[in-house]
Amino acid sequence: GLKNDVKVLKLGHALDTKHSVHIAMEYMGKRLEEISGGKMKVDIYPGGVLGSERESLELLQLGSLDITKVSAAALEGFVEEYKVFGLPYIFKSKEHSYSVLDGPIGKEVLSKGEKYWLQGLCFYDAGARSFYSSVPIRKPEDLAGLKIRVMSSITSFAMVRAMGGSPTPISWGELYTALQGKVVDGAENNPPSFYLSHHYEVCNYYTLNEHTMIPDVLIMSTHALKKLTDQEKEWLTQAVEESVVVQRKEWMKSEQEALESVEKEGVKIIKTDKQPFIDAVQSVYDLYEDNQELSSLIQRIQKADPALLKKEEASDATTLQEETKQN
Amino acid sequence: MELDMLGIVVLIFSFIFFLVIGTPIAYSIGLSAVATMLVSFDTLPAFSTMAQRMATGLESFSLLAIPFFILAGQLMNSGGIAMRLIEFAKVIVGRLPGGLALVNVTANMLFGAISGSAAASASAIGTIMGPRMEKEGYEKSFSAALNVTSATTGLAIPPSNILIVYSLASGGASIAALFLAGYLPGILTGVALMLVAAVYAHKKKYPIAEKVPFRFAVKKFFDAIPSLMMLVVVIGGIIAGLFTATEAAAIAVVYSLILALIYKEVTVKHLPQIIVNTVRTTGMVMLLIAASIGLSWVMSFENIPETVSYALLSLSSDPFVILLIINLALLAVGIFMDMTPAVLIFTPIFLPIVTSQLGLDPIHFGIIMILNLNVGLVTPPVGAVLFIGCSVAKLKIQDLVKPLIPFYIAMFVVLLLVTFIPELSLWIPDLFGY
Amino acid sequence: MNLRQKIDKLLEIFLVVLMSTLVVDVVWQVASRYIFSNPSSFTDELAVFLLIWVGMAGAAYVKGKNEHLAIDILPDKLTPNRKSRLLIFINFLIILFSLTIMVVGGTWLVYTRFQMGQVSSALQVPIGYVYMIVPISGLLMIYYSLDDISQLIKTIKSN
Ligand code: NA
Ligand code: NA
Repeated sequence: GLKNDVKVLKLGHALDTKHSVHIAMEYMGKRLEEISGGKMKVDIYPGGVLGSERESLELLQLGSLDITKVSAAALEGFVEEYKVFGLPYIFKSKEHSYSVLDGPIGKEVLSKGEKYWLQGLCFYDAGARSFYSSVPIRKPEDLAGLKIRVMSSITSFAMVRAMGGSPTPISWGELYTALQGKVVDGAENNPPSFYLSHHYEVCNYYTLNEHTMIPDVLIMSTHALKKLTDQEKEWLTQAVEESVVVQRKEWMKSEQEALESVEKEGVKIIKTDKQPFIDAVQSVYDLYEDNQELSSLIQRIQKADPALLKKEEASDATTLQEETKQN
Repeated sequence: MELDMLGIVVLIFSFIFFLVIGTPIAYSIGLSAVATMLVSFDTLPAFSTMAQRMATGLESFSLLAIPFFILAGQLMNSGGIAMRLIEFAKVIVGRLPGGLALVNVTANMLFGAISGSAAASASAIGTIMGPRMEKEGYEKSFSAALNVTSATTGLAIPPSNILIVYSLASGGASIAALFLAGYLPGILTGVALMLVAAVYAHKKKYPIAEKVPFRFAVKKFFDAIPSLMMLVVVIGGIIAGLFTATEAAAIAVVYSLILALIYKEVTVKHLPQIIVNTVRTTGMVMLLIAASIGLSWVMSFENIPETVSYALLSLSSDPFVILLIINLALLAVGIFMDMTPAVLIFTPIFLPIVTSQLGLDPIHFGIIMILNLNVGLVTPPVGAVLFIGCSVAKLKIQDLVKPLIPFYIAMFVVLLLVTFIPELSLWIPDLFGY
Repeated sequence: MNLRQKIDKLLEIFLVVLMSTLVVDVVWQVASRYIFSNPSSFTDELAVFLLIWVGMAGAAYVKGKNEHLAIDILPDKLTPNRKSRLLIFINFLIILFSLTIMVVGGTWLVYTRFQMGQVSSALQVPIGYVYMIVPISGLLMIYYSLDDISQLIKTIKSN
């Protein structure tokens, strides 16, 4: 009959099937089927066939898609809190980002989407974004007069401006040609995207200044979430958590492979001192000066020392759970 | 699984029903898409998802090039530019056997290249060349058949809106590469049509054009230069990296506006009407695109591309045979369907097969698709360019069917060459490093 | 001028303004890169939003002119009266499309955008305004179809 025994979750994302996120999702689907004894299943639609990241979030809200993976940057227009992850050098290191995202702050941000019908399930690693261009960039001054393609967000624009470059909007699809023809002098992205987009063919320098670490986020429609029993939610949570471990491992692998591959293709990788870049972008933080909630969130993230946090994590997490139960 | 099959059945049968009774294609696409959605969704998610897919379907920077090239074409559409190009073509090919017939093809190639519209080309060149050819003894139906088929070459020769639509449907094949890939196949089609025309004219002993004095030829050349410069500005600007393909289209608008104002073909007073005409074509194309994007969402959701590809690959494992089947399927589609919806609906279905199973370059397949559907533009019962060619020649469609046959064969031969010799499409883009 | 002509005229003015803005916007994007070497940050987002408006409002205008591509072999084979009846049915289908997808679906889409407070990434404008053209253009299509139907009924009656 129509009331099927198997609960199928439809998951759409915009990445290639070779991407670490897709691999992790397939693992998640496999595990969910195993844990639930075949009662739950995930259908994955990769490559953006069901829409871009922003469009997929809208579909989650409209109720025609259950789960999607987006960059935290895509969530900025929906849930304000995700904006802070787009700030340059908000995370001091990979360890810092993991401790924040895995800890109470991460859980808090994931749950902020609930009132917008977009419940966050977990964060996936998307590494750090750095500049690549046809001329070497070693310090912020080298960006002077360079047209740098950035994502269409005010934070990205403010960041490149603060460093002295000219931020330029070009759609991702037209970027290869634009770089080749020098419509823009450079762009910025994480190593796997730099490699998979073939932009290394037209940009010979990759500066590992690691200005932003914008995580990927797995988001579920609250319409779909409501249809799950507590037991089913538990199964899903377990499968999701297991997929995070797989994704991080796969991401590290793909990051390293990407860097080795572009180097083999003749790209000069510039390992630079980050401090001048950090100093240059402090004005970007002024964007959120007047926003009480974001300012305090920013401060809490900055204060979250990885070593210190580990001790407090357990107790914080329990209080948060109690709080959400009360709501 | 049963539910999935039900969706496919609803989709196909409702679509055919809507089309056959004469519902506008865009509405037919949207209605059958939403009917299919209602099989697996509640009403509000289904309706609002379709609305969202339609709106976001237009939310693509590359698509902007379409209204811009249409507007540039409208500005170029005045008789003056067509006339200059015809005179220029006469200098180049007028003295060869079948002189005026070759002039017709060449002028169509040039005008189609610039305006990017086969329909505009067929009407602009056909209006002028039809009576001239008739005066020299050509049969009217032959001239009209030649005119409509050669008008389609401008869709392969860049700039070309249909290649932009293909880029969208393919999920982002480079527009610059597609533009460069179109040159040889477009010119080859033109040459094939000229060969057929020359043989025919030779058999019928039609005259060649009178000799043009050298001084005069030089003048004709210089007259045509400003119009031809548009190609240099647009394609050159993209290759040189002055602007992206989309921005090039906006530059084309500015260039053709300046040219039209200088030639006094257009005054500022005419501009609103020209823009309204542009919006008319744009609105038609955009609703088709919007509805098709909605449909392709539904098709992806129902896993239809995979189903079709599975069925196709079970027919044969020979790449040659599969490509031939796809070509014949597209030709059949072209007989009944206009080019834009055909590209939007069938690219997502066939492209994954030819790229992952047959190893074709998406750029190459784009050109195959355009050459293929070009034939459809000049076949009854649904053939936009054929209709326009008939109306300017004041002929009935059935008058053209017989004289069209040798030209169909020429187009089909070129299609096969382009299908099985990838270098014809990919050599020039390779040369420029795409 | 009757109501339909007035609506046509308004739409024309509206579309000419939108289309001109679109051209200026993209030319500005190129110019701001070369002449002022200070690329503007919102031109591409504004351009695609304008395109949605031009496309949707343009589609309604084209329905008004009944110029949307169709295969009209069957209608053309019918007697005038039967043809009118078929055209009434087709207009009914167009109303069905416009009402369900564009008006109902579009309104729900716009309503939820505003309720969720979603804004665009560069211009920071509420996305609801961008999608608003969908239900508006749906209403216009319904108006044109109803007007066509009433005229077709008159034709049938007069025969
Ligand atoms: Na062209
Ligand atoms: Na046809």
